[in-house]
Amino acid sequence: MTAHQMKLGAFLWATGHHIAAWRHPQAHVTAGVDIDHYIQLARTAEAAKFDMIFCEDAAGAREANVNIASQTSRSIGFEPISLLAALAVQTSHIGLVSTASTSYNEPYGLARAFASLDHLSGGRAGWNLVTSASHIEAANFGATGLRPHADRYERAREFAAVVTALWHGKPDGASGLGHDGRSFSVRDALELPRSPQGAPVMVQAGASDVGRDLAARTADVVFTAAQTFEEAKAFYDDLKGRLAAYGREPDDIKIMPGVAPVVAETESEAREKYEELQELIPDDVGVALLSSYLSISDLWRYPIDGPLPELPASEGMQSRQALVIEQSRRDNLSIRQLARHFAGARGHWRMVGTPAQMADELEARFEGGAADGFNVMPSYFPGELDTFAALVVPELQRRGLFRKDYEGRTLREHLGLKRPV
Amino acid sequence: MMRSSNDRGNGTTMKLAVSLPPVEAPSDVQASADPDFALLARFVQKAEAAGLDMVLLADSAPAAGSDTSKRHVPFEATTLLAALATVTSRIGLVAAASTLAHQPYNLARRFASLDIISHGRAGWNATMVADPREAANFSRPEGFSPDDFRRRAEEFIGIVQGLWKGWDADALLFDQHGGRFFDPEKMHLLDHKGEFFSVRGPLNVARSPQDTPVLVMSGLSEPDMDIVARTADVILLDEPSVAGANDLKRRAIAFGRSPGAIKVLMNVAPDAEMAARPDVIADRLEESFRSKSCDGFNILMPPLESVLDDFVDLVLPELRRRGLVRSDYRNATLRSHLGLVEEEGQ
Ligand SMILES: Cc1cc2nc3c(=O)[nH]c(=O)nc-3n(C[C@H](O)[C@H](O)[C@H](O)COP(=O)(O)O)c2cc1C
Repeated sequence: MTAHQMKLGAFLWATGHHIAAWRHPQAHVTAGVDIDHYIQLARTAEAAKFDMIFCEDAAGAREANVNIASQTSRSIGFEPISLLAALAVQTSHIGLVSTASTSYNEPYGLARAFASLDHLSGGRAGWNLVTSASHIEAANFGATGLRPHADRYERAREFAAVVTALWHGKPDGASGLGHDGRSFSVRDALELPRSPQGAPVMVQAGASDVGRDLAARTADVVFTAAQTFEEAKAFYDDLKGRLAAYGREPDDIKIMPGVAPVVAETESEAREKYEELQELIPDDVGVALLSSYLSISDLWRYPIDGPLPELPASEGMQSRQALVIEQSRRDNLSIRQLARHFAGARGHWRMVGTPAQMADELEARFEGGAADGFNVMPSYFPGELDTFAALVVPELQRRGLFRKDYEGRTLREHLGLKRPV
Repeated sequence: MMRSSNDRGNGTTMKLAVSLPPVEAPSDVQASADPDFALLARFVQKAEAAGLDMVLLADSAPAAGSDTSKRHVPFEATTLLAALATVTSRIGLVAAASTLAHQPYNLARRFASLDIISHGRAGWNATMVADPREAANFSRPEGFSPDDFRRRAEEFIGIVQGLWKGWDADALLFDQHGGRFFDPEKMHLLDHKGEFFSVRGPLNVARSPQDTPVLVMSGLSEPDMDIVARTADVILLDEPSVAGANDLKRRAIAFGRSPGAIKVLMNVAPDAEMAARPDVIADRLEESFRSKSCDGFNILMPPLESVLDDFVDLVLPELRRRGLVRSDYRNATLRSHLGLVEEEGQ
């Protein structure tokens, strides 16, 4: 029996999760063109016994306004499947999870790429299913624009079912897969041996009602954003409560909200570090980032020191929009304050403090039944991943909350997930 | 002076590629795939030690007529390329990927990323074969007519190459103090609106060290020749024919390219003959090369490491003795191995 311990993901993104990370003197500013940097990050996370590294993705620019984009580091980077394939042979234990969209791929190709990644890594691959919410991405895939939220999720449901069927192999006696559905048709089974871990791990991010339902139906891991304990707990209970309807057990899904730590030996040092980053955010960059997550084109029309206006219902990221509106009301924040707050972690739980404070808080959410683990979002790389690995992980290990060594070799084994039959 | 591929006497040497062999499927499918990758890695490292220009990784998803139970390589070609890139440092790595199985934006991104991971050694082998079985797995059960397929492929390739050029080589500033990560003037939207695709851009991957991945084209029929003459860097042909190579170069010139901007490689399968008669093989390659029917060869290897050994240990030294093959890599990128760098920019 393995102890009841939290799962940890190392969420890698560009120069760091803070929007101004790239300007920090200790950030690796050329991260987006430096594969050795990523190999080093993966090895750091592996040495700290993280369950997985996790990559976000978008098939397009992050920001439509080129002037704003040019003040951030997120316009260029590695395509994550090729990145993880490179990391697969340069690491030995850590799980390798990449985001990929159901809106802009075909299930056969994606199932094949992840199965291949699973073979290259000896059973450590995972796919984070997203439906994509950006107009800029949509413009790279045809003239029709962003499809409505409900349509994207309907396509995602069929996509996930086909990928799962492909990973699990053709039924006995069947000559192929023979899927002929509303969005996709696939004739053959996958022409690869069965995945070393049975099937790559299925992660899902997208927290609206339909998003949660899709997760309850298909996901092994759920990535989510929650600021307060109450939000996290409500999400956790809701999602675990949906599992029975699909004949699944609560333990079949690991819920891992994001957490963006700024950590240092003393609290004042941590605050200083955070302020240093906050100083580097240009106002227009902060407001643009907030606008994109709120799915409204231009917050600039409103006074920056005034409150967030009433927003129309979103066809983009409904769950994140709700979270931001909730926060703006709860803390009575102006657009400027909200934007600056949001620039640090895009609405994820942000924590500034000492290793002990951080361990306390993580422990409270874990033991309080609000999370099975956390997706750790360092504010800049490599410094803040190094710091978390050096200061927070040992503290969690001392408390028996996190493993001291890998118990197995595959990602499913790390996460304590059943091997699919 | 620009070197053209015709001054054979002035030290132009033949380009050499090998096609990666499939390996035996593991008998225990639960077993880790490590041994398979290790075998492939050894093969490519050996080809690199021999100074070959590039390795071609085949891909099929699945190929028409294939038996799915006998699949040999448990890897998809682009992921395999990424993995091999980290265990080699000089040899070019070219992966096949079809225009039916991908969206142009995604494919452009994948290869641009592979090109940066490999430090400028990646190539895309775009096959011009419209495989009905592939179409049937990618929600196109009705397939494409040959003509539609060709127009679509041409548009697809144009988009991919356009996206690859979206960032000028000096676009990234990394100016932390001034707060400018890139120069907005040096980033270009594609804004493509065509018959089959509409793609805004820009690509979210930077310019690579060799500017753009090498475009290799194969599986060609006569009507494809204008497309390849306009777009390809390397062309793989099955039949040795002076007319074929010359015709391609003539067409390239008509599109405003230099004859040396395209390298024509002949597919050859020397197989078991090599051990017995390396000099005969060398004669045959030399004759084709000197008659200007090609710029080099793509050696199709059966699934045995020993066959690569035979080529490297027996045939290659003979070609070197004759001054037909360069002795080592002069530079780091695939474009430079292939002599495509000097030929450009006119
Ligand atoms: C925690 C979290 C992480 C996400 N990460 C990505 C991502 O990396 N790429 C992406 O295109 N979409 C991402 N999404 C967007 C979702 O896939 C989805 O398109 C969006 O959230 C709208 O669905 P929802 O209203 O159900 O949240 C993420 C969503 C959440 C909640």
